[in-house]
Amino acid sequence: MVISPLRRKVLRDLRRLWAQVLAIALVLAAGVATLILGNGAYSSLHETRARYYDDYRFADVFADVTRAPRALLGDIREIDNVLAAEARIAKLALLDLPTMAEPGTLFMVSLPENADRGLNLLHLRLGRLPDPQSAHEMVVSEGFAAAHRLHLGARLAVLMNGQRRELVVTGIALSPEFIYALGPGEMMPDPRRFGIAWLPRPALEAAFDLEGAFSNVVLKLAPGASVDRAIEALDRLTAPYGGSGAVAREDQISHAFLDAELKQLRAMVKVLPPIFLMVAAMLVNITLSRLITLEREQIGLLKAIGYSSRAIAQHYVEFVLAIAMLGIVIGVAAGSWLGAGLAQLYVRFFSFPFLIFTRDPQIYGLAAGFTVAAAVAGALFAVRVAVALPPAAAMSPPAPADYRARMAGLRRLFALRQTGVMVARHLFRWPLRTASGMFGVAMAVAILVASLWSFGSINHMIDVTFTRAERHDALVAFGAAEPARALFAARQMPGVLAAEPFRAVAARISHRALSRKLSIMGKPEAPVLSRVLAPDLRPMAMPEAGLILSEALAEALAVRPGDRVTVEFLEGARNTVTLPVSGLSLGYVGLGAAMEIAALNRAAGEGAVISGVALQIDETQQKAFYAAAKATPKTGFVAVTALTVARFKETLAENITVMITVYVGLAAIIAVGVVYNFSRIALSEQGRELASLRVLGFTRGEVSGILFGELATIVLLAQPFGWLFGYVIAFGMVQAFSSDLYRVPFVIGPEVYVTASLVVCAAALASAWAIRGRINSLDMVEVLKTRE
Amino acid sequence: MSNSIFRTKGLTKVYRSGAQEVHALRGVDFRAARGEFIVILGPSGSGKSTFLNIVGGLDTATAGEAWFGDHQLTALDERGLTQYRRDHVGFVFQFYNLVPSLTARENVALVTEIARHPMSPDDALALVGLTDRRDHFPAQLSGGEQQRVAIARAIAKNPEVLLCDEPTGALDSATGIKVLEALAEVNRSVGATTLVITHNAAIREIADRVLRFADGRIVEETTNATKKSPAEVSW
Ligand SMILES: Nc1ncnc2c1ncn2[C@@H]1O[C@H](COP(=O)(O)OP(=O)(O)OP(=O)(O)O)[C@@H](O)[C@H]1O
Ligand SMILES: [Mg+2]
Repeated sequence: MVISPLRRKVLRDLRRLWAQVLAIALVLAAGVATLILGNGAYSSLHETRARYYDDYRFADVFADVTRAPRALLGDIREIDNVLAAEARIAKLALLDLPTMAEPGTLFMVSLPENADRGLNLLHLRLGRLPDPQSAHEMVVSEGFAAAHRLHLGARLAVLMNGQRRELVVTGIALSPEFIYALGPGEMMPDPRRFGIAWLPRPALEAAFDLEGAFSNVVLKLAPGASVDRAIEALDRLTAPYGGSGAVAREDQISHAFLDAELKQLRAMVKVLPPIFLMVAAMLVNITLSRLITLEREQIGLLKAIGYSSRAIAQHYVEFVLAIAMLGIVIGVAAGSWLGAGLAQLYVRFFSFPFLIFTRDPQIYGLAAGFTVAAAVAGALFAVRVAVALPPAAAMSPPAPADYRARMAGLRRLFALRQTGVMVARHLFRWPLRTASGMFGVAMAVAILVASLWSFGSINHMIDVTFTRAERHDALVAFGAAEPARALFAARQMPGVLAAEPFRAVAARISHRALSRKLSIMGKPEAPVLSRVLAPDLRPMAMPEAGLILSEALAEALAVRPGDRVTVEFLEGARNTVTLPVSGLSLGYVGLGAAMEIAALNRAAGEGAVISGVALQIDETQQKAFYAAAKATPKTGFVAVTALTVARFKETLAENITVMITVYVGLAAIIAVGVVYNFSRIALSEQGRELASLRVLGFTRGEVSGILFGELATIVLLAQPFGWLFGYVIAFGMVQAFSSDLYRVPFVIGPEVYVTASLVVCAAALASAWAIRGRINSLDMVEVLKTRE
Repeated sequence: MSNSIFRTKGLTKVYRSGAQEVHALRGVDFRAARGEFIVILGPSGSGKSTFLNIVGGLDTATAGEAWFGDHQLTALDERGLTQYRRDHVGFVFQFYNLVPSLTARENVALVTEIARHPMSPDDALALVGLTDRRDHFPAQLSGGEQQRVAIARAIAKNPEVLLCDEPTGALDSATGIKVLEALAEVNRSVGATTLVITHNAAIREIADRVLRFADGRIVEETTNATKKSPAEVSW
């Protein structure tokens, strides 16, 4: 095979400029990798979930009732568009394990009646389903089994409705209903303290005094059917039986958390890859421009001997395509590798029976296409100049650079020496290039600011939530509302230093056409242990009659303080009242509404009842308290603040190292790519001058200082822009992430900016260091022999 | 001889590229007195530049010794050579090697800023007759003017030696004369020992002494009893 001379030149250029080529290719690769990773993870997660839901018949509508007769199921199945309905028993039970002092909860769910046509079918990992007749066999969720090292045949004691029962594990399973298994009162899944157990219906009916009745119903609707209408019909049927309002799939906890994750991936794909591709296009442009300037005479010669402009343009485009290819290869490899890593994270976080990691050629094609487009776009601007040159003009040396700027002001301001003036004039001589360098560095800073801020903001959220608002050590939620005197019983429990009652009533709050279903919290007039905070973090007193809504809820309902909202209670007497909005509160997790407890009970048409107690516990008597709380039949579940926070921080810590490594790596790739290429170009342009200065007696350090001064100016000037871009990106992400589930507080501490700048400056320093050898070995004798 | 500023003994330079050896200098013995104006002639490839570069501290010898006053240049390391160039040597080259982003005055100031006993950049430019062009960038100056800026830059530090490698090589003869006049003038007023390499034999008449290089050696040495001023020289 004969390789044409021009093609051979491409290969030689690639080899000669390998370090610059690699630096650009890495920036492109980062774009490809994040694109593949983001899109790949998104479609993997999306498709896995869809397949899982399909194969295991995940329901569309979910509703809890206090106690409804099984006969009602017939009516429910009659609702329009209902393809299947399943009446279940779904109740919390307390774990009673010798190996675990702290409170733990098992969610007891009755098994689907029919293993094929039922809903929310189990994916059995191990063992078998319980004998339908057995009252003490169960299947447990995989995460829970793993956390407790449960094997088949293991025995487990639980307290159901206050009754201690020993159950045997016959199988280990997963369910589409609990991909993200969040325990009651928790912020992060903790498979040790929360698990799911599936038992035959009769066993649970007996355990919870629900013979011939059910406490939960799930529906599957015909495709395209109106979910709202089905919910309305279902609510009408369940209302007499304590139905607290059905929710659609999109509000089902596990599903909603997965959705939030998908949303984040979407946002990442929108932000990161474009940054890398833009920076890469800019690098291609400046590097190629310099190459073309250096090869000006060769281009003229080639044209003079008959090469067409097209052939010459193609030559340079080929050079850039080779870089793009390298970037794509590295990016695809890295993207696939990181994708597998992300899949591991998902497997740890979400319980899927399988994970479809899509190798959709479209994703790869898209990534490659964007990358080539970015590289070629960067190249075309540079190549245009080469193509436009008439051969004669090309062969004569370029017009000398025109330095006009006087810079008297700058010089006085910084007391610049001549070398400083050289730096300043050089930067001003190519303003566009200086600006693109700053842009590149700023983007590296921005990526860090936009990713690192979230950790501080999460800490802020934890701090505000648990040291200012929820200041209790533990919270005991009763299985059902109890008379107010339950508070006194709680105060008698061992280790309890203080107790504060709370009431939670399910309600639908609406304002005009907007409505939300949630639990309205009743609290004492001036709560101490479980407080509501105003946006300025001051604790709020509970108003005599009105409601305090969280900002998120007020936004969702489009109400302001002073407006009246309609409250439809979904428990007890099921009153409907209108109440004034007395104030807005801060709230990061979920939607919130609070009232004074007596006012709430009055409005709901109930007597003096409470739903649970917030407690302050003597640390030394924790174990005794746990035991007592467990032993009380009233207890529905116990949430321990310290454990919740610890788990949250632990989960965060598990991911934080990986996340920071990835983002620091990405930012470093940009910073190194930009600074290294800029320094090589600056050296190529000024090598002659610098060597001349060495002849005049300037030391290596002084000469390096000129080049580094130029780079340092670009890097330092870029910092504030980086902070600004980062701030804007982060702000956009906050908007994209906030949902009814949580809204992230937007706080960026100075440490975020400092860290981002330090990382980028370190990367810049390292890449500048890499060319120090080249500066030191500038050939003084050579530069004297040749004309520029 | 305390009056001598340069001494070399058996100065040898061998370039090795692979198996090939090029003997650029084959044992050069040389002395220059303070304030002397020396012209170096010789065919291309005879080792003139190599010699000048070694005594200028830009290159190192393979063997032999080179002394500048009490300093043995051949024993200095990179740092020492830099310091030597900085403190004692002024260079003028065929291609001027000015910094394009600095004006004439700034190019001179570049050196005076790091020199120990510099003259003012304006005085240096006045010496070469460029006072009115001092705010021009190199690109705005003719070749001869650029070379005169280079001379001003070389002498502004009040160097003890001025080394010029084909300073008129890129200039037409009329301009070349102006440059040489400037060099001679500087040699007289500053008293710097001046070594000028040239292909133009006519220059010899303005020198105190003329050396002829051939094949890496000094093969001829003539001392001018009476030197002419550059204007008297016919080119
Ligand atoms: N870096 C180098 N590597 C190999 N050989 C070299 C090198 N530099 C110079 N030479 C050789 O050393 C010899 C002397 O070179 P030098 O530059 O000193 O000659 P010159 O007298 O200055 O010539 P000219 O008048 O052409 O400038 C030449 O044969 C040259 O080819
Ligand atoms: Mg020479």
